[in-house]
Amino acid sequence: MKQIRYILFLISACSLFFYSGPSAAGTATDETGRPVTIPDDPRRVVSFAPSITEIIFALGREDRLKGVSRFSDFPPEATRLPSVGSYIRLDLEKIVALRPDLCFATKDGNPKDVVTRLSALDIPVYVVDPKNLEGVMTTIHRIGGVLNAGPKADAIIQQMHTRINRVKSMVAKASSRPGVFFQIEISPIVSVGESTLINEMIEIAGGINLAKGPTPYPRFSREQVLTLAPDVLIITSMARGGRFEAVKREWSRWSSIPAVRNHRILMVDSNLFDRPSPRLVDALEILARLIHPGLFEGEK
Amino acid sequence: MSQESEPNGAISLRMDLKRPLLMKRLSMVSLLLLFFLIAALFLGISIGSTGSGIGQGLATLFDGKDTDAMRHTIIWQIRFPRVLLAILVGGTLSLGGLVFQALLRNPLAEPYILGISSGSGIGAIIGILAGFSRFPGVSATAFAGSMGTLLLLFVMSSGQAMLKKDTLLLSGVMVNAFCAALIMFLMSVTQDSRLHNIIFWLMGDLSTADLHQVAILAGVLIPGFVLLFCLSNAMNLLLMGRELAQTMGLNIKAATVTLLVATSFMVSLTVANCGPIGFVGLVMPHVLRLAFGPDHRILVPASILGGGTYMVLCDLLARTLPDQGEMPAGVITAMIGVPLFIILLKKSGR
Repeated sequence: MKQIRYILFLISACSLFFYSGPSAAGTATDETGRPVTIPDDPRRVVSFAPSITEIIFALGREDRLKGVSRFSDFPPEATRLPSVGSYIRLDLEKIVALRPDLCFATKDGNPKDVVTRLSALDIPVYVVDPKNLEGVMTTIHRIGGVLNAGPKADAIIQQMHTRINRVKSMVAKASSRPGVFFQIEISPIVSVGESTLINEMIEIAGGINLAKGPTPYPRFSREQVLTLAPDVLIITSMARGGRFEAVKREWSRWSSIPAVRNHRILMVDSNLFDRPSPRLVDALEILARLIHPGLFEGEK
Repeated sequence: MSQESEPNGAISLRMDLKRPLLMKRLSMVSLLLLFFLIAALFLGISIGSTGSGIGQGLATLFDGKDTDAMRHTIIWQIRFPRVLLAILVGGTLSLGGLVFQALLRNPLAEPYILGISSGSGIGAIIGILAGFSRFPGVSATAFAGSMGTLLLLFVMSSGQAMLKKDTLLLSGVMVNAFCAALIMFLMSVTQDSRLHNIIFWLMGDLSTADLHQVAILAGVLIPGFVLLFCLSNAMNLLLMGRELAQTMGLNIKAATVTLLVATSFMVSLTVANCGPIGFVGLVMPHVLRLAFGPDHRILVPASILGGGTYMVLCDLLARTLPDQGEMPAGVITAMIGVPLFIILLKKSGR
């Protein structure tokens, strides 16, 4: 069934390619439904989010990237590009000074009024809005189309599909689906609801997201987490190093949690998990290995 | 400082400046402050995150046809509206402080302390969370919030008690504390990426200025400035004490309500656009009163020009001090304003 969904997605992606691909330069519609006038071959591109920077580098179009948002640190070359402020606090003046012919923004995070004001200054802004793994691939496809890197985008998407399917077939062999508590913030304890990318990845990786619910980023008390009795406790590295050890120690006091008894408190790199970029499949593979270590024992 | 806010004979004598003398003083003070304001304006548009140059800024301003379209855009479309917004906001907040200090005959009064700013803050947060655009959506909810606070203030200190200065000020302090708790409550139940925007906005933020927004704001605020200038003599009379003001033929209730509603409306507009910025309204009126005396016919225009200058300079520091990004202007107004206020207080006490 899932396979059929992906084939259907590929077909729709291909049809999209013909509608909004490089041949359709001129006015395009971005992922929020705004019309954007896009140059035939954008040469001076500015990215407003680390995820978009990663996508543009993955597409091999970094030569056109003239500015990036702060914290765009992957690949490392990205840190050498001029910064236009953090993605929440973009510096309008710096963006304009880079004379961009196209900017990429993300709906989730970038302030709307920056997009409106740049458009008023005749600087086109293409807004992306990936909501799930398929959405990330659509975004890669669309950015690829706009930057005339369609074939490269399709190759990236193809590879992502292959790797996702591989995880799926591995996980299908598992005998159980462990309960996962994915902690993205330490104080207060914050986890992820059903509308998030991380929830989708936990499910593909063969786990059950214990925080699943309509709230995107629900808060929990320690008491509630004890009641949920997670088999695996995953903490993102928003605070690296010593901080993780301290949090791990704090959790270790509660031996009624199965994850504590079985030493399954684990840390992952938050940059991999909270950026809708091609590296999400790396995150997915890491997650599957953490949730089902037994299944992946044979490989490196 | 308290001597100006107490009814006493010396002040009422000074209020009776003869008209020609008043006009002379008014134009001298206004010209002097206007000069500072224009200097701040040039400074504001000449300095920014992508390089500065006073000469260059001036050249772009007066050339009309600058060869460099990009610099032209930065100066005219980004810096210029922001400086204009700072002038309007600074002028309004400083005037707001002046009016409330006269009205309540209390040197501590200002819209921020009375809860008017926090009230419009709550309105604005609700507007932001509901997904309204900054104008007119959020401005309208902010105004509704400040009017709600004002209504609450009236109810809490209703009837004759309203006119007693301490009841209104105390009610205001309580309302402000309640509003602050309500803002924290709204923030703690919000699980939303827009929260980041709210936090910046709560500390005062002028970065969203654009010419269209500034034009609308000016269209509403400038008539407000004129109205308050017309009421400046009423403020003088109010300061001399209720009984005296009444015998001088002032309708105290009408004057009080007009001043309160007009000022709250103007302040809520600035809150909707830039967030609640504190201390401008507290510091500027005191500085100007020390410099130019207690006559409101001079202090009203002085507050507009002086408050505008102060805000432009604070915003300039806010956007140039950090080498990455910028900081909220409200941080600077407080960090400069509070020590300045204390120094002046010490000096005038001696």
